Amino acid sequence: MYGELGNKLVIHAKRTQALNLLPAYQTDIVRAVTREVRDLNQDIHEITNSYQGDFNPSADPAAACALLVHHLCVRRNKRCLLAYHRVRAEKIEHMCWNGMDAMEQVQAGRVGMEGEEDASAAAGTPAHALSPEEDEYARQYGDMLAAYKGHWTDIDLTGSLEPPKDLFIDVRVLKDAGEIQTEYGAITLSKNSQFFVRQGDVERLIKQGFLQKLS
Amino acid sequence: MDIDDILRELDEDAEPSNSKDYDELLKWWLNERAAPEILEYQDGLVERIMTRVRRQIEHIEDQTGNLDPKANFHLIIVQTELERIKFLVRSYLRTRISKIDKHALHILSTPSLRQSLSATEQTYLKSHQALLNELYLASFLKTFPETLRRLDDSAGGIKMVEEPDLESAVFLRVMKDVEVDIPWEAGEAIAMRRGDVYVIRYEAVREAVKNGDVELI
Repeated sequence: MYGELGNKLVIHAKRTQALNLLPAYQTDIVRAVTREVRDLNQDIHEITNSYQGDFNPSADPAAACALLVHHLCVRRNKRCLLAYHRVRAEKIEHMCWNGMDAMEQVQAGRVGMEGEEDASAAAGTPAHALSPEEDEYARQYGDMLAAYKGHWTDIDLTGSLEPPKDLFIDVRVLKDAGEIQTEYGAITLSKNSQFFVRQGDVERLIKQGFLQKLS
Repeated sequence: MDIDDILRELDEDAEPSNSKDYDELLKWWLNERAAPEILEYQDGLVERIMTRVRRQIEHIEDQTGNLDPKANFHLIIVQTELERIKFLVRSYLRTRISKIDKHALHILSTPSLRQSLSATEQTYLKSHQALLNELYLASFLKTFPETLRRLDDSAGGIKMVEEPDLESAVFLRVMKDVEVDIPWEAGEAIAMRRGDVYVIRYEAVREAVKNGDVELI
């Protein structure tokens, strides 16, 4: 039925919004929907051409109705496709802002999906969660963000959006992170140790999941 | 003229001092967060604040070697303040970026809104839209018929361009006595007294927010 595949994409997009990671790109559905659009457009051309330009809607309501439905379906499919890609693009942007490597996310996504009863994941199909176009987008957006951030090096735009309360915080090390340099000398972050450090120095590491903030 | 009026006048004529700039930043940060549309970029203000931030960072770097316990305590206070200012500026800029992303096409097509962005924000907006366009084109739009490739048409009764909802309600505090016209009830105006707090449609107080007569809370 017309529009059914488009609806599937919207459902995928809705699901993506609630997830922390980016599910695999639905290449097949996207392709099928674009094919549907092409076919419908073909039909529209055939119908209008068969009238040789003197088409009178009131004289032939059936054809007029067919044209209208075709048009509406094409537009709807376009909206579905746009919505699907937009949600994914926003997710990618979000990952860029959080300083997460898109590739890392994909890895994490695959590990996470093993537990799920996702049939396609079990079959091992999602070799890559991003489509090549999205990959390119992620890379370029990252570059652009870096350029914009370059104007505000003193502020660190990707820093925490929580209002800072204390200059120093207690953190626990969750994963070995090696040695970091602070104004007060070097600290070796080894797993399970606990430190009292300046928030600004370790913010990145908290975001990346190496450290946990203790309140 | 009573003492309040005299104080008020003094308030308005004061030079932009450190603490005044801080209050201004706080005010514009709140305004930006509460207003549905993007506001004028506070170029001079951010510039002044950033100069001071840089000066403070240098000061901290100079003083870190100092072992005097008094200096150390002083440093901690300076650093805490610095973190707070940095947070304000960061949040201010991020709020703007999120608005820019949300209403990108609307801002692009409205020259007055475009003017209210800083130069770097304009570059960001343009290159971001170019990237998005490219993504859509490469992913599926290239296979579409020519007439359907536009991203901003309003055929079918649904506009594709997302616009800020200027009708939404905002809370505000009045800073100066102003009269606000309610547009569709002809001739009606309410007089707002300094210090009053209102909930009102954003559109009605749009100009007042821009002039700084009222501030959003």
